[in-house]
Amino acid sequence: MPFAIELKSITKRFGSFVANEGVNLAVERGRIHAIIGENGAGKTTLMNVLFGLLQPDEGEIWIDGEKKILPNPAAAIAAGIGMVHQHFKLVPSLTVAENVFLGMEIRKGGLIDHKAQIERTASLSKQFGLQVDPSERVGLLSVGIEQRIEILKVLVRGARTIILDEPTAVLTPQESRELFQTLRGFVAQGMTVLFISHHLEEVMEVSDTVTVLRHGKEVATRPTAELTKSDLVQMMVGRFVSFDRRPRPPTSGKTVLEVEDLWCRDERRVQALRGVSFKVRAGEIVGIAGVAGNGQTELAEVLSGLRPSSHGAIRLQGRPITGLSARAIRAAGIAHVPGDRLVRGVDRNASIALNMLMGRQDQKPWSRSGIIDHRYLTEQTTALIKRFDIRARGPESPVKSLSGGNIQKVVLAREFSGDAGFLLIDQPTRGVDIGAQEAIHGEIMRQREAGKAILLISVQLDELSALADRILVMFNGTVMGELPGDRVDEEEIGMLMAGVRPGSGASARGAA
Amino acid sequence: MEVLERLFNVALVVATLRTTAPILLVALGGSFTTKAGIFNIGLEGQMLVGAFFAVIGTIFTGSPWIGVLCGVAAALVLAFVFALLVVTFKANEVVVGLALNILAGGMTVSLLKAIFGTRGSIFGHGLVGLPVLRLPNARDLGWFGQMISGYTPLVYVAFILVPVLILFYNRSRLGLYIRVVGEKPEAAEALGISIARIRYVSSLLCGLLAGLAGAHLSLGYTTMFTENMSSGRGFMAVAILIFSNGDPLKILLGCLLFGFSDALSLRLQTFGISSYLVLAVPYLVALIALFALSYRARPRIIQETLASMGRALSVKPNAATDAEKAVTRG
Repeated sequence: MPFAIELKSITKRFGSFVANEGVNLAVERGRIHAIIGENGAGKTTLMNVLFGLLQPDEGEIWIDGEKKILPNPAAAIAAGIGMVHQHFKLVPSLTVAENVFLGMEIRKGGLIDHKAQIERTASLSKQFGLQVDPSERVGLLSVGIEQRIEILKVLVRGARTIILDEPTAVLTPQESRELFQTLRGFVAQGMTVLFISHHLEEVMEVSDTVTVLRHGKEVATRPTAELTKSDLVQMMVGRFVSFDRRPRPPTSGKTVLEVEDLWCRDERRVQALRGVSFKVRAGEIVGIAGVAGNGQTELAEVLSGLRPSSHGAIRLQGRPITGLSARAIRAAGIAHVPGDRLVRGVDRNASIALNMLMGRQDQKPWSRSGIIDHRYLTEQTTALIKRFDIRARGPESPVKSLSGGNIQKVVLAREFSGDAGFLLIDQPTRGVDIGAQEAIHGEIMRQREAGKAILLISVQLDELSALADRILVMFNGTVMGELPGDRVDEEEIGMLMAGVRPGSGASARGAA
Repeated sequence: MEVLERLFNVALVVATLRTTAPILLVALGGSFTTKAGIFNIGLEGQMLVGAFFAVIGTIFTGSPWIGVLCGVAAALVLAFVFALLVVTFKANEVVVGLALNILAGGMTVSLLKAIFGTRGSIFGHGLVGLPVLRLPNARDLGWFGQMISGYTPLVYVAFILVPVLILFYNRSRLGLYIRVVGEKPEAAEALGISIARIRYVSSLLCGLLAGLAGAHLSLGYTTMFTENMSSGRGFMAVAILIFSNGDPLKILLGCLLFGFSDALSLRLQTFGISSYLVLAVPYLVALIALFALSYRARPRIIQETLASMGRALSVKPNAATDAEKAVTRG
């Protein structure tokens, strides 16, 4: 039987950058095939080539045993390929059925036949178990349902192979589970699913076959059942991930931050934190682990004063700071490295110097009687650029001219050069290349040695086991458990991240 | 009582429909651009140019129908320039709209001077208006017949266009695409719908109706051209469009309100009420109407207020559970 899709040594270059290099991909019909890799490994480029959004420089695309050239998405759709993008493109004031049929309306006598569109949407929705109300307006629906509509759009165009780009990034865990069920339903009906992910758990859970990409090359394609999570990590990163732990002297400082029974809600008014309590001591790094979307972001926002808590207490050096403004909290001694550096970390259009100034523009010696001391600022910025090894032309370079890793160093330089006793660090190495990652880890360790209390939130387990003294695992807004940073049992932490408390045997071993 | 009867009668309804028609035509034109996501403040200018060239066309050919075509053609040219600047060259739509309005005002005045050697207004010169349509058998319908018969053709066109446009937006592909382009351009783009083309088409459809509105003003509503004779109707239409979001039915209601207040003020003048006061009536009604219409935005404002209050008050539910906990502990 021919493969549903076969890509033969696809190479795609952008200038001197090679996004895909001789990638082979063979997808069997009736399988869920995952494509996994780090950021920038070339997953999305490969899928865009397959969907006709990009033209490969070399290589061939075979669909159902036929060689195809796909000059545009329309050609890919005609060949039976559909793509559900990460960002949805639905029209809020139109109904579900109108959105599904937009661009290929059913018409009768020149007019759009709403009734036929609704009936057809309803029957498709029933056939594939994608529950929607075809006559409801899209503006009123949740993200999970919007995704179903996007999938319906693909189905109605006759797709037999569906590509999903990071489909769970915007979904709640419950919605993700429903999506996986739907995908299994597709496969049962003889369709093929290709999905891009960097979530190991998801790939292990839902896929039949997995292809690992690294630096634009195909590393391996294997049946998922033959692999363990750590095999996948090793293939993704390209070396044995030793979870190399940073050496450290033991510390036992006094408590700097104390969080007690903290609750809050997210934008959708859903409880995001449900009674979180912990302490962070001076000279200690406390790691927060968990699958993204289990309350870590909200925890960081509440601690930094960007989101109100609904209940609970936060004490810094024994003083309550609950309900204070972000500014007052900074003044009280919290430095914050935000998870989304481009939104809350820097002003991209401002210079490095001005970004270094932010938050202390009214403090001596940065300014005097309301006038900024630019000479001092330039001096300090130059020194920080040197100390943090920020690759930039000078203090006046705009931040947007820097790479992701260097932008992150700008944020770290500003936050670490203050005199805050508590550092709140959220995803310090997200989207940062390996070299810069190492430097950032080194800087965090230096802050620990300087006696700072550090809360490190990360979705990367190896980062936590390299840096943290203790790791708290969050699940669904609660702390599921605590592990010592020097003895991370992947099995155990994986269970906690999935919301399962390990059996008594496991915890006894942990206590021993 | 007698005064009220003299004021509110079939004649007032007729006058209302007459005064509503020009503003309805131009507002329905603006509905295309509004729905396509263009804020078109140039309606006034397109209408004025339409009125002027309708008169010119009629005087030079002797046929008011050709006059109407000339007016529409002139408005289309202006609408095309608008689309060219706004869609292709991505200029600011308010600036372009205002500039074209000023151009229309200046151009009509100077052409008037150049061709007829006068300022102010022109009539005569062999100018004929559009014929009045008397519906057959209307006389048998009594007062209702009086109400619906005896208008110039473009009045009927204006009112018939309302259901036509409702059908257009809900059931035709072009209407649907115009809405999508206005509401979610990236969705249109993803489906291969050309945003620029849809916006051009909307601008030209808008020019078509604005031109008809102008022609109606100079050949139907009156039979003359006066300097700046659109007298703010284009701007009134813009106001109605903002509050109706371009929905034809809401546009009709808004225009009827303006038409009614206009007609009322004309009638009040015959009662010897100070003309200054009377002339203020349409604007007063407009103000009240806009206030009332903007009151519609209330749910959103209330929603936001409630949301922010909810955030501040969200302590409560948990505080309550906390209290419960305390009780159970006790």
